[in-house]
Amino acid sequence: MAEKIDILGAAGAIAKGLGVTFKEMMSPTVTENYPDEPPKFEERFRGSHILQRDENGMEKCVACFLCAAACPADCIYIEAAENTETTRISGGERYAKVYNIDYNRCIFCGYCVEACPTDAITHGHGFELASYNTSTLIKRKEDMLAPVPPGAHAPVIAAEEAAAH
Amino acid sequence: MADPVKLTIDGREIHAAPGTLVIDAAKQNGIEVPAFCYYEGLTLQAACRMCLVEIEKTPKLQTACTVPVAEGMVVRTETPQVATARKYMLEFLLTNHPLDCPVCDKGGECELQDMTFRYGVGESRFTEEKVHTPEKQFSPVVFFDAPRCILCYRCVRVCDEGLGVKALGVINRGVVSEIAPNHGDHLECDECGACIDICPVGALTSGAYRYQTRPWEMTHVGTICTHCADGCKTTLGTRNDRILRGNNRDRSGVNGEFLCIKGRYGFDFYDHPERLQAPLLRVNGKLEEVSWAQALNAVAQKFNQTLADGGTFGVIGSNHTSNEENFYLQKFAREVLRTNHIDHHRTGDVVTLLDALSGKEGKLATVADLYERKAFLVLGADLALEHPLLSYQIRANYRHHQAHIYVVTPGAVREDHYSTVSLRGRDYASLRDKLKAESELVVLFDDSYKGDDVRKLVEFGESLGIPVKYIALVDYSNSRGAVDMGVAPELLPGYKPSGQPGMHYGEMRDANLGALWVVGANPLKNGAQRKAGFLVVQDMFLTETAQQADVVLPAASAYEKNGTVTNATGEVQRLKRGINTMGAKPDLEIMGFIAREMGAAAALGPWTPDAVFEQIRKNVRGYQVPLPVLMTGGAAQTMPVNGRIPVESRPDLVHSDHNGLFASGTLGRYSKVLNSVMESRLRR
Ligand code: SF4
Ligand code: SF4
Ligand code: SF4
Ligand code: SF4
Ligand code: SF4
Ligand code: FES
Repeated sequence: MAEKIDILGAAGAIAKGLGVTFKEMMSPTVTENYPDEPPKFEERFRGSHILQRDENGMEKCVACFLCAAACPADCIYIEAAENTETTRISGGERYAKVYNIDYNRCIFCGYCVEACPTDAITHGHGFELASYNTSTLIKRKEDMLAPVPPGAHAPVIAAEEAAAH
Repeated sequence: MADPVKLTIDGREIHAAPGTLVIDAAKQNGIEVPAFCYYEGLTLQAACRMCLVEIEKTPKLQTACTVPVAEGMVVRTETPQVATARKYMLEFLLTNHPLDCPVCDKGGECELQDMTFRYGVGESRFTEEKVHTPEKQFSPVVFFDAPRCILCYRCVRVCDEGLGVKALGVINRGVVSEIAPNHGDHLECDECGACIDICPVGALTSGAYRYQTRPWEMTHVGTICTHCADGCKTTLGTRNDRILRGNNRDRSGVNGEFLCIKGRYGFDFYDHPERLQAPLLRVNGKLEEVSWAQALNAVAQKFNQTLADGGTFGVIGSNHTSNEENFYLQKFAREVLRTNHIDHHRTGDVVTLLDALSGKEGKLATVADLYERKAFLVLGADLALEHPLLSYQIRANYRHHQAHIYVVTPGAVREDHYSTVSLRGRDYASLRDKLKAESELVVLFDDSYKGDDVRKLVEFGESLGIPVKYIALVDYSNSRGAVDMGVAPELLPGYKPSGQPGMHYGEMRDANLGALWVVGANPLKNGAQRKAGFLVVQDMFLTETAQQADVVLPAASAYEKNGTVTNATGEVQRLKRGINTMGAKPDLEIMGFIAREMGAAAALGPWTPDAVFEQIRKNVRGYQVPLPVLMTGGAAQTMPVNGRIPVESRPDLVHSDHNGLFASGTLGRYSKVLNSVMESRLRR
């Protein structure tokens, strides 16, 4: 008696499993044909970061270090500097002279984005970060900055300081 | 001491000394009453109303910062009414506040942020446009952002009471009232930064530190200021081998939270573009950068050769290097180079004072004594300019304990404003009767009293019949240590006679020596021509002396090394390395390497600061200071000798540079902050 029940139970389970298989066979495929076709992302996918600019082309980051403070992987490195008459990079009193993210360590948790009071740092959809050389995984500000929006002026940098940028 | 008063705070029975303020009584018992304008040591202001508490039998809330405790008083600090009052006070302070914490330098250590977080409402009902005024620059050091100011008057009071400068005040009324500097649009003051440091918010910020980093990003290293001889502890905020700020908010060290401009901002010489970062060797008449190995080798060879040829050596030590370096240097000179021609620039007659005090104990005043003792006799020096900390201590003493101050100086000084008697000239003897009436006295004298003058002064002091302590004022961070360590031709460490006194500073400069070795000094600064056959200089910069050298070895500054220094009052304190500067080495290491290259290192022992300090402890009386005290950043006073010093102490060589607030010998020339302040004064 117990044997019969076992057999029936197993057969039922197999039928149920195959049911799922056949159903999925009929539904449209979700697998992407990457890398032959570009991948599709959910809007809120957390990829490599983008440092945003405002509508005037100024960098939004004011070098408040809050992202660096929030980062659990301690992978954001910032050096701040003051905006002056001749060198004006961001909308606030100061700007990030250096802004690096070490993608060897970033866990794409999004805490930095949460912490930013000016919405300067955001996640983009970049994900092709693999490299044979770890030192290339430290991205600098220039690698992450959004382009200057059309019609806006680029930040003003005094000639003597331009060399350093 | 009167009987303690018994009162109740938050249901707890508390005993406090009569006259204690409720806010302090609460604090002493671990009950926090929030406050902005109340500041320990300053007069009461009662401007912020943050400290409101409920006191039974008084109809309204009371300011805990102004009400003294009374017998049977019942205080409540956590009632709903108090909590509501705090909420509204904060909301009120924030009405015109810009809330630009992300760019504000105070963010992360702002008292307003902390209080709002803890006691605030979290939301504002104020939707009107905020009053905005642009930021102002008061001086090269002080910037003021009026909208962030909460009008606590701390800056006004610390400048007036703490520094005795009175450079800040308040203009206008109501929402447009703001802090204003003494000269209309700019400040002319000590530029000490005390106002910036004491400001609970980011209204006052410093030109040196602003917009560079955030407080939590820095490493904090407690070390000793390398400028004057007062020995203030300064806590350096460092990041990536850069010093970003200096302050002493934790009030450790002899100076509490006091620092003058040099200690707070004058560290910036380390970063000067002319800082030497590679050894220089004279090749075909020109100084060229070479490797350390080449440079050390050149020095060692020449030293060995001079020794073999029977040539004479001269060694000039420094007022800024550590005790360990001074000790090692004199040992090197005496045991390896076999010379007593070793000296440093003497800036005060410590030797005669110690000799005159022989046989007596407890005769040297400490920095703490200046705040605690009852009467002071200031001879010669303009304390407020030349010894800012000592002046600050005496001023605080006068404010808090009404100390009596007697001033005998050549010109007018800041102490005149609160002195009991001020005399011009040197006739301190005419104060005899007044001084005899005091219960105790501390005498401070500068380099205009030396040799027999000092003996006479001590005789005078000892004849008053009251306990008298003394301070021989010297110029630099380790001027005192240099004598204690025997960097003098007639003295060994611990003031023992060297037997055969060698040449002194000036003689060495002008003699045709085989080799002259200058460590952290600038003997040729007045355009003198070098006479020595071979000149080695260890320095941070290409000074006039270094320019004439055969070998220049780049030295580390006091902020880049470990060791100990001794201040004017004989208190030994510890230097702690804050940063490294590429290419430069601590003088001790350089000397050790030279010894090693010469094959003489074994005779001198290891050249680590701790090992050399062990030798100092064995050799110099008074330096057996408790190590835990030093290690934890404390100060320990030394009395390095007690007994006659049977040498001719050459008081004629004593000569102070009389550096004012914005000067610091050769070092001061390389500080951007000090120079910019002096330039801004000249422009006006
Ligand atoms: S990215 Fe945002 S959070 Fe980070 S420093 Fe810049 S402004 Fe601050
Ligand atoms: S996503 Fe997370 S780990 Fe990566 S930089 Fe931002 S906070 Fe750091
Ligand atoms: S003073 Fe404090 S609360 Fe005001 S902006 Fe600065 S950090 Fe924020
Ligand atoms: S500037 Fe700072 S210390 Fe001065 S009154 Fe305003 S908030 Fe207080
Ligand atoms: S008083 Fe002297 S030791 Fe103190 S901070 Fe000023 S220069 Fe430095
Ligand atoms: S602390 Fe009492 S009123 Fe400001």
